Amino acid sequence: MNTRKIEILVGLFVALGVLAFAVLALKVANSGISGSGETYTLNAKFENIGSLKARAPIKVGGVVIGRVEGISIHPQEFVPVVNMTIDANYECQFSDTTSVSILTSGILGEQYLGISPVIASESARQSCFGYEVAHDDASDELEDLFGVESKALRNGDLITDTKSALVLEELIGQFLFNQGSE
Amino acid sequence: MSQAIVEIKDVTFSRGEKTIYKNMSFSVPKGKITAIMGPSGIGKTTMLRLIGGQLKPDSGDILFEGKSIPSMTRAALYDARKNMSMLFQSGALFTDMSVFDNIAFPLREHTTLNEELIRLVVLMKLQAVGLRGARDLMPSELSGGMARRVALARAIALDPELIMYDEPFAGQDPISMGVLVKLIKSLNEVLGLSSLIVTHDVTEVLSIAEHVIIIAEQGVIGSGTAQEMLAHRSPLVQQFLQGLSDGPVPFHQPANPYEQELLSGGAV
Amino acid sequence: MINFFQKLGHKTLSRFASLGRSTSMLFGALVNMPNIRKGTPLLIRQLYMIGHQSLLIIMVSGLFIGMVLALQGYTVLVGYGAEDSLGPLVALSLLRELGPVVTALLFAGRAGSALTAEIGLMKATEQLSSLEMMAIDPLKRVIAPRFWAGFISMPLLALIFSAVAILGAHLVGVDWLGVDSGSFWSIMQAQVSFEKDILNGIIKSFVFALVVTWIALYKGYDCIPTSEGISKATTETVVHSSLAVLGFDFLLTAVMFSG
Repeated sequence: MNTRKIEILVGLFVALGVLAFAVLALKVANSGISGSGETYTLNAKFENIGSLKARAPIKVGGVVIGRVEGISIHPQEFVPVVNMTIDANYECQFSDTTSVSILTSGILGEQYLGISPVIASESARQSCFGYEVAHDDASDELEDLFGVESKALRNGDLITDTKSALVLEELIGQFLFNQGSE
Repeated sequence: MSQAIVEIKDVTFSRGEKTIYKNMSFSVPKGKITAIMGPSGIGKTTMLRLIGGQLKPDSGDILFEGKSIPSMTRAALYDARKNMSMLFQSGALFTDMSVFDNIAFPLREHTTLNEELIRLVVLMKLQAVGLRGARDLMPSELSGGMARRVALARAIALDPELIMYDEPFAGQDPISMGVLVKLIKSLNEVLGLSSLIVTHDVTEVLSIAEHVIIIAEQGVIGSGTAQEMLAHRSPLVQQFLQGLSDGPVPFHQPANPYEQELLSGGAV
Repeated sequence: MINFFQKLGHKTLSRFASLGRSTSMLFGALVNMPNIRKGTPLLIRQLYMIGHQSLLIIMVSGLFIGMVLALQGYTVLVGYGAEDSLGPLVALSLLRELGPVVTALLFAGRAGSALTAEIGLMKATEQLSSLEMMAIDPLKRVIAPRFWAGFISMPLLALIFSAVAILGAHLVGVDWLGVDSGSFWSIMQAQVSFEKDILNGIIKSFVFALVVTWIALYKGYDCIPTSEGISKATTETVVHSSLAVLGFDFLLTAVMFSG
C-alpha cells in the first residue's frame, strides 16, 4: 500500500480519536461549571446534611450555578459545614440573608443544594466589590428598620440561614408524635 | 600470505556450561576467499557473530582491520559494521519491503544519496546478481536461491570490505548452488573484497576457496590452501573432507554402553 | 525441600533477569530517539498497522457493549422508576472502567499478539540480526516506532470506544426503550466530571497502553526463535497483558476513585 494512502488513513484515525474526545468532553461531561470559568467559595452550616455528597449541584430556581466542593465537621460546634464553589458571576449578588436548603430531586433522586436568593442592595454590592459607598437615605432607613446592615456574600463568607435535609425517620417520628398529642 | 583483515587471537567462548572455542587463533587474509569448515554444531555461525560483534568472547581478542571488536564502544562498533556485511542462512530479507526497497534500505539508512542515485546503485547491484527483472517482487514470492541472491545484492550495496557468508549453499538445488559459487567468486574478484564462507559443503567450497580453515573440537585443526588441506595428515581433517561416517569424530553421541542401557529396562 | 528452595530461587532470579532485560529493551528503544525525518514515516506506518487496523473491532465492540449496558441498566433502573439515570450509569461505567479496560483487552488480543508474532518472526528469520549487522539498531528501527504507535493509539481507541458505546446506549435507551433524550444527556452531564472521570480514564488508558505494548514487544523480542517459541510468546502476550491490565486497573481505581 502506498504511503499516501496510509497517511490519509492514519490522519482519519487520529481525527476520529480527537472527535471522540471532543464529544466526550462537551456532550457527556459538564464542562460548564467545573471545567472552565472562575469560581468563588461560600460555606454553610447545617444541622443535618442527609445524604448530600461532594460534587452535588447547587441550584437557584433549578439552574445550576455551582457545586458542593467538600463537606466537613465544624471543629467546635460539631455540625456539618458544606463548602460550595459558585460561579464568580454571582459573587456579591446575594445578600447575607440568603437561605440555603438541602433538597431532593424526585423521590429517590440525588440531593442538591437549593439557594433562595435575597438580592443584595446596591450599597452592599458596592462595598462588597470594594468601592467607596455613598450612603443614601433609603438604605439608611432600611438599616434602621432591621437594626443591622445587610452585606453581600463574597468569597469565604458563611451562610447562616440554612434548612437541613429531611430525614425520613424524623418526619415519621414527628408525625406519630403529633398524632399522639391530638 | 598478505595482510589479514580479520585476526582471531586466543579466543575462548562458552555458552552456559558448554565451551565452544578454547584458545582459538587464526586469521583471514585480505582480498581472498576464505572458508571456515567443520562438522555441524561446532559453532561456525557463532564465529561470524563474534566477528560481527553480536557476541563477546570470554577471553582473547578479535581484530577487524587492526581494531579490536570486543573492546569497541557501541558507536565504533556500528561504524565498523558499515565495512562488513553478512549473508544470513535464511537471507533475512525484510518481508514487508519489495526486493528493490530491501537493497535500497542500507543505502537510504547510511548514505545521503538522492532517490535517483539510489535507483542506479540498486539496479547495478541487481544486475550483478542477475535479478534486475525481479525488483518489484516481494520476498515471499522469491525462491530460496533467488532470496539468497537478493540478500547478496543487499550485502554488497554499501561496498563493504568483508562479506561473511553463513552456510550459503545449504538447502540449494545444484543449479542455484552453481550460480552462488560463481557469484561469490566473481564478486570477490570484481569488487576486490574479502569473503569469509562458513559452510560444510566441502566440494563447492574447495573449488573457490583460496584459504581453508577447519574447525573441530573447540579449535582449529588445520588451515592452508585447498590442496594443502586435501593432503593433510590429520585423520580428523581427512574424515571431514571425505565425509566418512566413522573416525575420530565418532558416529555415536557419547552414551552409556549399549548393552547396559538395553538390559536396564529403562531404569537408568 | 532443598530442591524446592532451589527452584524458587531460580524462578525468582529468572523473573528479575527478564524484568531487567525488558527494561533495558525499553530504554534502548526510547533513549536516543531516531531522527524525525526517518522516524516519522515508520511511526505513521505503525500507527496504521496498530491503530487504524484495530479501529473496526473497537468500534463494533463499543457499539454492542453500549447497547447491552443500556438494555441491562434499563431493566434494573425502571424497577425504581429511575430510568432517567441510564445516561450517567452508562457514561460513568464506560469512561471510568469499560472504555480503558475493554479497549486494552481487545488491543492485547488484536494488536499485541500481532506485534509479538511479527517481531518473533523477524527474530526467527534473522531480520533483527541482519539489521544489527547493517549497523542499524533494531531497538530504534523496529521497537521504538511500534512502542510509540501503541502508546498513542490505545488512548485514542479508548476514547473512540467510549464515545461509540455511549451512542449505542443512546440508540437503545432513547430510540428504542423510550428514555427521554433530554434527561439522558442532561443527567449524564450533571453527573460526569471532565477531570475526575474523563481525564482519569485517559490516564488509565495511557498506563494500559504502556503495559500492553511493552509486554507485547518484549515477548516478541525475547522469544525463542522457533515456531513453538513464537506461538508460546504470542499466548503469553495475551495472557500476561490481560492480567496486567486487570491488576493495574484495580490499583488505579483504588487510587483515583476511592477518595
